[in-house]
Amino acid sequence: MTELLAFIASHRAEMATRLGEHVVLVAASTAIAAAVGIPLGILAARRPSLSRPIVGLANLAQTIPSLALFGFLIPLPLIGGIGTRTALVALTVYAVLPILRSTITGLQGVPPAVVECAVAMGLTPRQVLRQVEWPLALPSIVSGLRVAVVIGVGTATIASAIGAGGLGDYIFRGLAMVDATVILAGALPAALLALAADAALAAAGHLADARRRSGRHVAVLAVVALLAAAAVWSGRATAGRADLVVGSKNFTEQVVLGELLAQALERRGLTVDRRLNLGGTAIAHEALLSGGIDVYVEYTGTSLTAIFNEPPSADSDAVFQTVRERYAALGVTLMPRLGFNNTFAILVRSEDAKRLGMKTVSDLAGMVRLKADATLTRADAPWRAGFGYEFLERPDGFKGLSAAYGLSFAAAPRVMDLNLIYRALAAGEIDVTAGDATSGLIESLGLAVLEDDRRYFPVYDASPVARASVLLQYPVAAEAIRSLAGRISAADMRRLNFAVDGEKQDPAVVVRAFLDRP
Amino acid sequence: MPGPAVQFAEVSASRGGRPVLHHVSMTVNHGQTVALVGRSGSGKTTLLRLVNRLLDPDAGDVLVDGKNTRDWDPIALRRRTGYVIQDAGLFPHVTVGDNLATVPRLLAWPATRVSVRVDALLNLVGLEPAVFRDRWPDELSGGQRQRAGLARALAADPPLLLMDEPFGALDPITKGELHAEFLRVQGALHRSVILVTHDMAEACALADQIAVLHDGELIACDTPANVRASDDPRVRALMGIVRLKADAS
Repeated sequence: MTELLAFIASHRAEMATRLGEHVVLVAASTAIAAAVGIPLGILAARRPSLSRPIVGLANLAQTIPSLALFGFLIPLPLIGGIGTRTALVALTVYAVLPILRSTITGLQGVPPAVVECAVAMGLTPRQVLRQVEWPLALPSIVSGLRVAVVIGVGTATIASAIGAGGLGDYIFRGLAMVDATVILAGALPAALLALAADAALAAAGHLADARRRSGRHVAVLAVVALLAAAAVWSGRATAGRADLVVGSKNFTEQVVLGELLAQALERRGLTVDRRLNLGGTAIAHEALLSGGIDVYVEYTGTSLTAIFNEPPSADSDAVFQTVRERYAALGVTLMPRLGFNNTFAILVRSEDAKRLGMKTVSDLAGMVRLKADATLTRADAPWRAGFGYEFLERPDGFKGLSAAYGLSFAAAPRVMDLNLIYRALAAGEIDVTAGDATSGLIESLGLAVLEDDRRYFPVYDASPVARASVLLQYPVAAEAIRSLAGRISAADMRRLNFAVDGEKQDPAVVVRAFLDRP
Repeated sequence: MPGPAVQFAEVSASRGGRPVLHHVSMTVNHGQTVALVGRSGSGKTTLLRLVNRLLDPDAGDVLVDGKNTRDWDPIALRRRTGYVIQDAGLFPHVTVGDNLATVPRLLAWPATRVSVRVDALLNLVGLEPAVFRDRWPDELSGGQRQRAGLARALAADPPLLLMDEPFGALDPITKGELHAEFLRVQGALHRSVILVTHDMAEACALADQIAVLHDGELIACDTPANVRASDDPRVRALMGIVRLKADAS
């Protein structure tokens, strides 16, 4: 709890922005859904033959899982892409059903005798609706709005996966960092927001109670004004776009690198929109192509294998050339590499590395062989290895590694959970493992990376990718991105990651300090 | 006036595809109260709903003031035709005063005239304006609701009044009070009234003419005294209930 409060305190400004985005998303989508759902509901209540298909369609839309719906929407023109607009479309789809249903239920609940009297008194159909049916159905409609808003607050957290911002940013960031505090920083305000919105609408509904005629118009006007303001605000938020939109995928290193790009651009006087925490390589790439984002940091090996479906390669320059050409064909420019390679790293305890003078994997292979012989004469224990399941199984994992370096252990390597291997190594349960070259835990746990001197592992050089048109439009942006070339070593990246993951610092603060470094 | 208040000429009608009325012909003169009597399903309510075009006939004509209802603008026709149903059908979401003001406001009367009219109507049906004007319909007793419903139907001073079992849901004492009230109001206003009831005693007490419907056919239409003297067994069956009641009391 104190951690959560500390996190909230240190992220006040950002949280206010995210909360604002969240409120706008929900309010605007509910407003649109009401504008669609209420007239549809009236139509369906009037014509029972239309009621079945309308409600059926809304029901169907409701059953699409939200992530899948976002996935469907991304490639669509006009309503698709990434960002606020797509999120609004998806949230609206979800909000329509409860509003539609409650409108139908409310209208069907009006006593037929009352409607008959109204008709017989000479009210026109429009007057019957406005003076009799609408006020009598309003409590039901308000309850539908409440349901829609509560669903919307929950679903809007998922909108973060397509770069619409909102409190979901913290939930996804927290999931990526396996940090419950950050998850709570998103989930708790979202839950409170849902409760508050529900209570506010309940109060508005109470005011709208037919018995308080003076309050009724005030309440309805207030709700309409609020929703309209939110819709306008969200319209302006999408219209009043910054010079550039910076994206990132949804793990700590990506968020740090996105922040790094953003601050580098801002230092050259450009305005930047941040779409950090996008839901993965495919979404980030799609967003770049569709113009939802203008620049993000990708890894050359990931582009080669995941985007362009080529086999992996360990040749840094060759991969860079290939990927650069493939991107160019898509109107995307691969910018100079930042200076580190986020690939597998063979790790040992640094005290062992120092004591035994090991710098490379070849050194390690020699040591292992030596010790395997030495065990015949000395009481020293043999080297014990432990790896993640995937690394053990993949042909380009342990099998290839041991072939490339002639590395063989006395005992078969242990299979371990990826999240535990660093601590197991530090605690002396194993002596060697394969980890992530930029993991923040390496330095903080006193581990050392052995150089892949035979270039066995494929390269994953971090390299910004940007829309060529934007670079032409803003030459200063190209300059800013180029200025980062070669500036971040693997050790730098590990420190940055640790500052965020291990020390719970705000990525923006960590990056600012890094850029201020002489 | 160019013709009788209401005239049915060879009218046949159906509801939900089922024939309900067969060749009904009868006349309601101005200032007369005609009671439509018959068992449930005999077609009384259907005949009533033809008058203000809640329904149109399949065949035959309904004339209001000599003009075929098909030629009347339904909205204009309904605004000059008062309508009262069982349990009054008051709008539950507005006050008694606002219920009464509905049609005058639709007719765009000035606010002061509406408010004067509402108070006059409440006085007319025996509801103290200061007490009842701002009450909600569900705060009224059944009898008070029915009085308010009658007042609402009279609001825009319609020459014609349609009443569908208006006193059906009331206890006998309240019903008796309201009968007296109705006769007093009608004695003052002389509206043309069509009153649907299944209660022959009520019909005898309130109506100038009694029309008896049986399976969608008009089998009698005469003064209460003559209907009472009818030897048609179907009419006598309806009267029988009255006799039994009279014997019991």
